[in-house]
Amino acid sequence: MTEKPVRAVKLNVINEPKDSYTGGKSSLCPGCGHDQISSVIVNAAWENGIKPHRIAKMSGIGCSSKTPAYYLGQSHGFNTVHGRMPSVTTGAHVVNKDLTYLGVSGDGDSASIGIGQLVHAIRRNINMVYIVENNGVYGLTKGQYSATADKGSKKKKGKTNETQAIDLCAMAVNLGCSFVARSFSGSKKQLTAIIKAALSHKGFALIDVISPCVTFNNNDESLRSYGYVKDNSEELHSVDYIPHFSPLEQVEIPAGAFKDITLHDGSTVRLETISEDHDPSDAVAALTALHEADVAKKHVMGLLYFDATRPALHEDLNLTDTPLCELGEEDLRPSPEALESVVASLRG
Amino acid sequence: MARIVNDFSINIATANGTGSQSANLILLQTLFDMGIPVSGKNLFPSNISGLPTWYIVRLSDLGYQAPGDGTHIQILLNPATWDEDLAALEPGSVVIWNTDSKMAMEREDVISYPVPMTKIARTLNPKLARMIANVVYVGVMAELLGMDQEILEAAIAKQFGSKAKAIELNAEASRLGRQYVSENFTKSDDYYVEARDLEAGGFFLEGNEAVALGSIFGGVQMLAWYPITPSSSIAEGIIAWLPKLRDKNGKSTYAVLQAEDELAAAGMVLGAGWAGARGMTATSGPGISLMQEFIGLSYFSEIPSVFWDVNRVGPSTGLPTRTQQGDLTMLYEGSHGDTQHIVLIPGTVEECFEFGWRIFDVAERFQTPVFGFSDLDLGMNRWSCNGLEYPTESMDRGKVVLTRDQLDSIENYGRYRDVDGDGIPYRTLPGSGLDPILYRGTGHDEDGAYSEKPDVYHALMDRLKRKIEGSRDLLPAPMVRQEDVCDIGIVFYGSMENTITEIDDILEEATGKKVSTCRVRALPLHSEVQDFVERHDVVIILEINRDGQLYGIMRKEYPDHLIPKMKSVAFSDGMPPRARMYANRIMAVLKEVEL
Repeated sequence: MTEKPVRAVKLNVINEPKDSYTGGKSSLCPGCGHDQISSVIVNAAWENGIKPHRIAKMSGIGCSSKTPAYYLGQSHGFNTVHGRMPSVTTGAHVVNKDLTYLGVSGDGDSASIGIGQLVHAIRRNINMVYIVENNGVYGLTKGQYSATADKGSKKKKGKTNETQAIDLCAMAVNLGCSFVARSFSGSKKQLTAIIKAALSHKGFALIDVISPCVTFNNNDESLRSYGYVKDNSEELHSVDYIPHFSPLEQVEIPAGAFKDITLHDGSTVRLETISEDHDPSDAVAALTALHEADVAKKHVMGLLYFDATRPALHEDLNLTDTPLCELGEEDLRPSPEALESVVASLRG
Repeated sequence: MARIVNDFSINIATANGTGSQSANLILLQTLFDMGIPVSGKNLFPSNISGLPTWYIVRLSDLGYQAPGDGTHIQILLNPATWDEDLAALEPGSVVIWNTDSKMAMEREDVISYPVPMTKIARTLNPKLARMIANVVYVGVMAELLGMDQEILEAAIAKQFGSKAKAIELNAEASRLGRQYVSENFTKSDDYYVEARDLEAGGFFLEGNEAVALGSIFGGVQMLAWYPITPSSSIAEGIIAWLPKLRDKNGKSTYAVLQAEDELAAAGMVLGAGWAGARGMTATSGPGISLMQEFIGLSYFSEIPSVFWDVNRVGPSTGLPTRTQQGDLTMLYEGSHGDTQHIVLIPGTVEECFEFGWRIFDVAERFQTPVFGFSDLDLGMNRWSCNGLEYPTESMDRGKVVLTRDQLDSIENYGRYRDVDGDGIPYRTLPGSGLDPILYRGTGHDEDGAYSEKPDVYHALMDRLKRKIEGSRDLLPAPMVRQEDVCDIGIVFYGSMENTITEIDDILEEATGKKVSTCRVRALPLHSEVQDFVERHDVVIILEINRDGQLYGIMRKEYPDHLIPKMKSVAFSDGMPPRARMYANRIMAVLKEVEL
């Protein structure tokens, strides 16, 4: 009898198996793009060799913001309130600058209720990765347009979306964000590379990830849309029926090329990987690429803008080398003599 | 008529932005340095320049610190309020007025001292005449009341610090004011000041600066704030003192963040608390309104956080530069759903300092939001202070598990499990790798995992209730002053401390009865407050708001047999409390209950 060879568990540079980076079971709709992003986060953190307990998982509210439960189970996390993850992360960061902060948010969280906090987090250049899982729709509240929904999107009820979409990448470049990228949940290889780079970046890294919603895809003309299924199935009487889809197949698009991706609802999205000639230190080139893609009704992907020279918030604050949260009473409470001198100066 | 010494109120009517604030502080400091018990109230508008401002100086050998119910000496410089100010005076009042204001002095039943303040100032410096005119009236009063010129000039020097030219200019202006009085008037009023031997070493301190210093001695590690009157001077005080007190080898042991709004400030405080540090913010009612969501998250996910509310007049923008105790209920029951929060309520500047450091210990001990409750009157006016007491206890960082051994020694650890039976669970910190959880504002079980189970939710809410209930007798006890006969008791809190003695004296004089008083210093209420109510026949709950917010809390929490004896006296018009107004309202209630 021949023994089956024992397959060695693959370890990363700090001798951790990938299992050390996984989390709980996802409760999102089967096939959700967000789950693909979660698995990319696991890969990127593992490949980067970050100690799993030295990561802080931050999120706001929404489908995307539930995902920190599904990766990095050895990390502390904070599923905060809607749109306010940046401020909580800011407060945590300045008192413990040595952790790696990984924020996950959605388009409702980031482009609507929390756009102010996102803007100010970029402005402060907090050293964190901020992933927007962008599907153009409010999932948890069942399918309202978000502020990133493309102009001209159609819903069964109500009007066509005629409001201009907010392009978070263009906004970030304009704000001087130190790392701006766009990717697609189905482009595992590209997304992994971008998240790994962002985790290594010192400063605020915004990654806008197009992550199609399998359930509320905003296109009721599609034969596989939520609305279509609801109206065309005799057995279906409740609105909380969720059709099951398989995750989108992987797509990798070479630099400078584009590809049309068919989504769950049968609609297509045209993705283009930015050309190798693109200079990511050139903000105007980044804005031009975004604008040209917008005009051509496609999404340009890749690292759009990057500036490693901007000081991050914690550097600007001149903090002690030891993280503030590790300082003890001897450093935090001035002496009785110090109080005496305060009182003496108040007496004048 | 007999001389009236150290027992009167001066009202100074000017426009803001004219430099009158410096003159008023010089006047206050001079009287203080003469050893006279004195208090100053700044009634200022929400405006940078040109709107009416009044400054009230109360001198009282009895130590009364309220502004007083009437004006004895009126200084008039502001044409905009001239007629109104004049009309409000009792016959026989003193009026010192600027003849250069081009306003008529039409009352003949007052004692009038017309002074060309601006002209006198112009002889010194034509460009700065409007500003210097303010110090001229200080000189005029100094001469009329008998203030010491040497002490006055020392106060001027203190006000202007190292600016030698300003000191000389203002000193000369005060001398010219004096000179004008001696050359043109014979004193025809009865008001005088006399120096007193007060305990040496006293100084003036604003409540907000005391909170700032307290916070620093409490080890604040992160301050996040958004500017709002009347709380900004807490943050500004912290920013000013931190580098002097808390730098280590040229590095900061703290972070200060000016947030984009109050929501963000609250979020930063929670972030710092989550990460294991002492975070705080300072704001006023409108800011607390914006922070409600985070307050609920802090309570429910059990993250220590510290919020100072310096109360101004609400609702809405209200009277943003006036005082009130109108936020108490909002703090105690802040955010949606069932909540209950700890509130520390200082009544003096010394307590502002003490609660400033103590509040962090309370927040970390109970892993919950804790509010410091002050108001514009206590926070932004200068109060006499005899010293600040160094923290009497070491920092209490609460139930934080820092090592694997500690964690292993806890039987059946869960982030939200009540291991000790006091409702307070243990916690581990991000970065430690010790039993990590995803903190959440959603329902969670004892291990921190998401749960919507009815019994899990109910047990959690029940434990949170027990946890906060357990804080009652560990928080600052009330200050009780009890008379032998327990007919009437007054329960009050916060800045009313500065008026209560005078109210007591008025009541005693009018009714012949002595009253006991109980100053509440924290919510939830200490058991001694209930004992106080039990012991007295009638208990007045005295507050600076419309609805009797503390009264409402007591009615809700106290047993039925105590409710008939509790009576609310609540009044608010934006002004710092004047003793007689409140005393009259108390007497009306006592009359109703035939006591």
